[in-house]
Amino acid sequence: MDIRIENLRKTFGEKVAVDVEQYEVKSGELLGLVGNNGAGKSTLFRLILDLIKADTGSVHMTGVYDGQSTDIDVSQTEAWKDWTGAFIDESFLIDYLTPDEYFHFVARISGLNEEQLQEELKKYEHFMAGEVSGQKKLIRNLSAGNKQKTGIVAAMLLRPQVLILDEPFNFLDPSSQSVIKHLLTKYNQETGATILISSHNLNHTVDICPRIALLENGHIIRDIANHNGEAQQELETYFDVQ
Amino acid sequence: MTKYQLYRLLKRTESLKDERHPMFERNKFMKFLAWFMIAYYAAIMIFLGVMLGMGLKGNYSAAYHRLDGGFFYLLIIDFWARFAMQETPAQKVREYALLPIRRSFLMKTYLVRAMMSWGNTFWAFFLVPFGLVSVVPVMGWWALVGWLLGYWLLFVANSLGYLFTRALCMRHMLWFLAPLALHAALVCVCVVPDHNVLRVPFVLFMQGFATWNPLSFITVFAVIAFGFLANYRLQMGMLHDEVGKKEDVNMKSVTQFTLLDRYGMMGEYLKLELKLRMRNKQVRTQFFVGLGLIVFFSLMSYFTEAYDAGFMKSFICLYNYMVLGMMTLTTIMCYEGNYFDGLMSRRDSIYDLLRAKFYFNSMLLIFPFVFLMPLMFIGKISVWMNLGYMLFTIGVLYPCMFQLAVYNKNTLPLNVKLANSNSGTMMQSIISIVALFLPVAIERLSVLLLGPVWGYIPLIMLGLIGLATHRVWLRNIYHRLMLRRYENMEGFRASRNS
Repeated sequence: MDIRIENLRKTFGEKVAVDVEQYEVKSGELLGLVGNNGAGKSTLFRLILDLIKADTGSVHMTGVYDGQSTDIDVSQTEAWKDWTGAFIDESFLIDYLTPDEYFHFVARISGLNEEQLQEELKKYEHFMAGEVSGQKKLIRNLSAGNKQKTGIVAAMLLRPQVLILDEPFNFLDPSSQSVIKHLLTKYNQETGATILISSHNLNHTVDICPRIALLENGHIIRDIANHNGEAQQELETYFDVQ
Repeated sequence: MTKYQLYRLLKRTESLKDERHPMFERNKFMKFLAWFMIAYYAAIMIFLGVMLGMGLKGNYSAAYHRLDGGFFYLLIIDFWARFAMQETPAQKVREYALLPIRRSFLMKTYLVRAMMSWGNTFWAFFLVPFGLVSVVPVMGWWALVGWLLGYWLLFVANSLGYLFTRALCMRHMLWFLAPLALHAALVCVCVVPDHNVLRVPFVLFMQGFATWNPLSFITVFAVIAFGFLANYRLQMGMLHDEVGKKEDVNMKSVTQFTLLDRYGMMGEYLKLELKLRMRNKQVRTQFFVGLGLIVFFSLMSYFTEAYDAGFMKSFICLYNYMVLGMMTLTTIMCYEGNYFDGLMSRRDSIYDLLRAKFYFNSMLLIFPFVFLMPLMFIGKISVWMNLGYMLFTIGVLYPCMFQLAVYNKNTLPLNVKLANSNSGTMMQSIISIVALFLPVAIERLSVLLLGPVWGYIPLIMLGLIGLATHRVWLRNIYHRLMLRRYENMEGFRASRNS
């Protein structure tokens, strides 16, 4: 599924949070979004997910779903929700459910049966490391890292064609960070899904994203090809990493 | 920073917190309404003060003697009115508990602020005109000052009693029975025997303030000191429990409610409604208070003649059906505000959730129906009335209350024991009042025109129409909510954790 952004602008008072004239993410791309705090990464994701209203412009999703070609403006219809999975923050989690109940809920309201759900969950067993699934703990009582894992797994559970994850490496221990990198790359290769992730971790972003967009004050100031890790130097220079 | 500077800083922070609350800041009408209501009640109090000051004398030597003899009635009203308005210090201190400020200082500061609150002087609107009319002509101005000071100290002591009870109620709701029993006992002692044995001691005690008798002042100061210390110990303990999260985070067993699996996707949303009520302290307490009220009013109607008059019978029957809905549906979507972004990222999930809420709340009406059945058997209410109000609630009142799903945009905390009080919005208040009185008016008119059996047919018919068309009006609410989605999501985000 392609994602096309046109004249997208969002301001909060005087501050320009997002101002993107034209940008396109092609189907099957794994795009990393980097930028300093307040650059507009999360706001851009929320605009793509129609969680905040754009002052001007639109976000379109174009491609083939269920054998039919489609081109929709995300603010005009809910159809894109069928093929999009996302995790931005804790406001995506129903914290009085256990992780298993939450997965079950997400699966059942999306038409997945119990057998399919268990099959999907098996793919994330290593990532969850026995601390998420099978626990008698409510999500609100999990550690920040395990909440993050719950949100990521729930977003990927339905094998979406568009996957959007805000700071997926946050709160995760080093081995889980490594596992999620592997999972995202594999998922991208297997499904051909369009994946958008944002991160402050330059190494992880450079490791897995063949394309990286650099945001500054709401503008995409650089669109960097990164097939062999060549973006590392450019990003380190920009962020002044010693 | 000196303790006084710190005290001033905390006071300023609290003022800013109120002024900048996202919902209050945006709603200028609510600000106006709040001040208007204060002015309105103050005017009523002044009027009552003047009128009673002139007319309460009766067989007594002065009107204030009569008031003094029953001063605890004022304290009882004051005590229960505080439940709607006053937060406990532990609720306020929680936000600062992890800052490098001594908790003991914070707690003492907030207890002192609670004692010095302007709320404790609100009765002055009644007592000053009353005293001017009745105390000054008999005992002079200096006596009035002492008399008013005495009353103010009693209200301060009362506020400490309230804070103590409120804190205990947070541990277990049934603690509210303690002041209820005490107040009931006091009223019984004064009302039941032929001679009120407490009147003379009460008059003498209050007379002590007017004459500046140290004994009266020492007595009330002792009560205040005791109340302060008791509150300090109890509320500090509660704060430690809350901050330290002593409760076990592992559940003993995870109830699955598999019975609802057969209803597919709707079953999942129904489970969500059940778990919302069972696993979150705020929502659970609200639910059980509602159930308690249903039981209370049903028993009162069964065993006493207090509600046997036509209007009261109708009102109590309706109230039993309405109470659970009023407690939960006026804040519809406010708890979901905690995870609204997640719901919005799934297609039609809000519509399905609204449907589940309708089915769930309709099924809950089995409780009032069962509790009202004995009243049907003894003939206090008719089958038609019971059936009429149940269907009218489902098919007419619920559609009215569900409209709030479109407008509510204030996230309420799910599981915080020491949550801030929910002030509610204008829309919530209007819909609650309409829901309480409109059906009784329709029923009274209908019964008057059509008689005690046929009079309920319009209620039943309207209810059945609402029930049969529930998908249509729920879909309409969903569409309107989606049109306002950005505004609502912004409100939910802004008020989450505020």
